[in-house]
Amino acid sequence: MSRLDDELKNALRREAPPAGFEARLMARLAAEPKRATGLTRWFRLPDLRMPLMTRLAFTAALVLIVVAGVRYERERQERVDGEAAKEKLMQALRVTGTQLQSLHEKVMASGERTAGE
Amino acid sequence: MRVQTATVPGRTMSESGTSREAESEAEFSALVREHQSMVFGIALNFLHDRASAEEVAQDVFLQLYRQRERLESPGHVTAWLRRVACHRSIDYVRSRHLERRISIEDIGERASVTTPDDPMLREKLRKLILSLGEKAKMVMILRYQEDLDPEEIARELEMPVRTVKSHLQRSLALLREKFGRALGEKLG
Repeated sequence: MSRLDDELKNALRREAPPAGFEARLMARLAAEPKRATGLTRWFRLPDLRMPLMTRLAFTAALVLIVVAGVRYERERQERVDGEAAKEKLMQALRVTGTQLQSLHEKVMASGERTAGE
Repeated sequence: MRVQTATVPGRTMSESGTSREAESEAEFSALVREHQSMVFGIALNFLHDRASAEEVAQDVFLQLYRQRERLESPGHVTAWLRRVACHRSIDYVRSRHLERRISIEDIGERASVTTPDDPMLREKLRKLILSLGEKAKMVMILRYQEDLDPEEIARELEMPVRTVKSHLQRSLALLREKFGRALGEKLG
């Protein structure tokens, strides 16, 4: 160990902080928001202290999901409405077909009667 | 540093919660008292300004408080505090552009023979160390304040051991050159 080493150890020795350091620190600590524990930790809001780009990407993804969801729901509704309209049309055609058949049978029966007389 | 506390029978949830908090804060207080001179010393020797050093030291302890559950053992806490104090001090200088450019020529030679624990010599040495680059300065602080060997310093500052040794050699050569005569004897 040289004299310079001793002088350096002396110059760079540890130093106690100014009086009241711990009290000031504990005061800052008391102002800190309380930590979530137990169940509340599971339900707490996500930590939003994230970089700007991450926040932007997160927001863009969220907007995309909402827009895609709205479009999907609209298309699904249109498909359901279309199916209902198609079913109504088929029902009407079936009713019309049955009535036509009944009418045709009546006409045929009436024709046969006229020919017999 | 996981706080191991047992619920006291007969106590309500809020009482035992408050007790745990009080116990945790008491434990944290003890840690602050134990390590404050190390953390404050690193910041002060690096920044050479007591107010800035206190700001950095407080931030380091606040970060410790927030992350206390992740630290497993007292040895882990010491190493963690030392590493965070180093990096926070460097960041503090960078964020505020505080790098003090003290020229070696600004630090005058002393003609008189110095005595051990000479406050003027101490101040002169500190100023000279302050004139070093930030990494070299931190290497010197960890070597002489914390008594770490080059391998440990390399781990703390995340740099190759060879770089640490090179910083030490260059800084010591500079100091020997500057203080050889002032000390009145052949150094090293």
